[in-house]
Amino acid sequence: MLARVPSEALTGLDSHAVTVEADVVPAAPAFTIVGLPDAAVQESRERVRTAIVNSHYEFPSRRITVNLAPADVRKEGPSFDLPIALALLCAAGQSRCALDGAAAIGELGLDGAVRPVAGVLAVAQSARRRGLRALLVPAANSGEAALVTGLRVLPAATLREAAALLAGAPAAAAAGPDAVALLGGDAPTDTDLSDVLGQGRVKRVLEVAVAGAHNLLMVGPPGAGKTMLARRVPSIMPPLSVDESIDVTRVHSVAGVLPPGVALVVRRPFRAPHHTISAVGLVGGGATPRPGEVSLAHLGVLFLDEFPEFRVSALEGLRQPLEDGEVTISRALASLTFPARIMLVAAMNPCPCRSQLHRRTDTG
Amino acid sequence: MQPDPHEFGRAAERLAVHYLQEQAYRIVAVNQRVGRGEIDIIARRGAVLAFVEVKARRTRTCGAPEDAVTARKCRQIARLAALWLGSHPRALAGVSDVRFDIIAIDAQQRPPRVRHLRAAFDGGA
Repeated sequence: MLARVPSEALTGLDSHAVTVEADVVPAAPAFTIVGLPDAAVQESRERVRTAIVNSHYEFPSRRITVNLAPADVRKEGPSFDLPIALALLCAAGQSRCALDGAAAIGELGLDGAVRPVAGVLAVAQSARRRGLRALLVPAANSGEAALVTGLRVLPAATLREAAALLAGAPAAAAAGPDAVALLGGDAPTDTDLSDVLGQGRVKRVLEVAVAGAHNLLMVGPPGAGKTMLARRVPSIMPPLSVDESIDVTRVHSVAGVLPPGVALVVRRPFRAPHHTISAVGLVGGGATPRPGEVSLAHLGVLFLDEFPEFRVSALEGLRQPLEDGEVTISRALASLTFPARIMLVAAMNPCPCRSQLHRRTDTG
Repeated sequence: MQPDPHEFGRAAERLAVHYLQEQAYRIVAVNQRVGRGEIDIIARRGAVLAFVEVKARRTRTCGAPEDAVTARKCRQIARLAALWLGSHPRALAGVSDVRFDIIAIDAQQRPPRVRHLRAAFDGGA
């Protein structure tokens, strides 16, 4: 028997439709996944098999073929575990696909738990765009998905729960965090510029730089307070708007750096990568490109401490994002654009020759 | 002087057939030659068709009997089963599940201990 469960696959910040088809026929037992799956998707077979058995379903002793359509797009990562398992259970007649227009994503644990995956916000936005009515997501990701209005978000903590929801069990759609309330609150931070005593001239400079969205280089001896001041730059930037906050959340979610339990990034990002960072780490890259630090700092501050110690190639890579506010990364498999509207704050020690004159020429 | 190893193997297969019959399986074929290989037992119970590999060991010195069914052997059995099913299309009538089982016989114990590992492996990919 054949069963279909719609799902979504991430490429960069966008997500596109993938249909998971499972066919189960009585023939010599085998479990194959086709449709250009990568290693993580191939491993999904073992997770799905074990999760089904440990959820007290019966793993069908028949020939199972799973297809991820469209078959010409490479499928990556563990987020197909849940739709594969659901399609398989439906095809084997152990569950029903009663919910029309419902997609599913999620990673499975061996015990049948549904684990959080990256990029759920982008997936939910894409599902809404293509007119799906409901989205089954890992319970830990439900807040993030529920930021998208007009889509019923059904959180599942286990494979059994997910199967029941797909079979039409009544469920309350997850409620998203109240973005307006979260952003409007003037939450006290532990890094506020008003904490700084003295340093009047530097504070004035920081205010001017932030007001004009200028990039900034601080030169001073160790212990002068460069890092301490840089950390407090986001505290005098205007609060994120709701749309900006969703943009930032999307990048962080796709990169998998959203802390557990956080559905929405409400503070401007402050990223301070170590000076040994590679060019790819800073601007993004990889076989299928992933966002780098410059995109994780989108709408916030990218702080480069020990500025002259950074690799030349990494710093040169910042030219285009600083100019355009976005970065386009082209690789064999894909060419993707990530947002990168940042305020660059750099800090360095003065030249060891201690010549004031030299320092002035250096910093121009 | 060791007893004839072929005779030992055939005795193990007879024991496995006897065991399956006791478990209400109907024996479809024994020592079925397919191409260059051989399937030990093909048995049917209800909607289940099982291809059974029999492994017996006189001693435990080389490990458990089922450990002798290697990944390569599993692939071979899966291939033979697919060939056999191709030439016996009616064997699948009324079948919902097809299984690859192992019957492991430990002949060190008296009487020999028979263990039936259902769905011990699949055709994989």
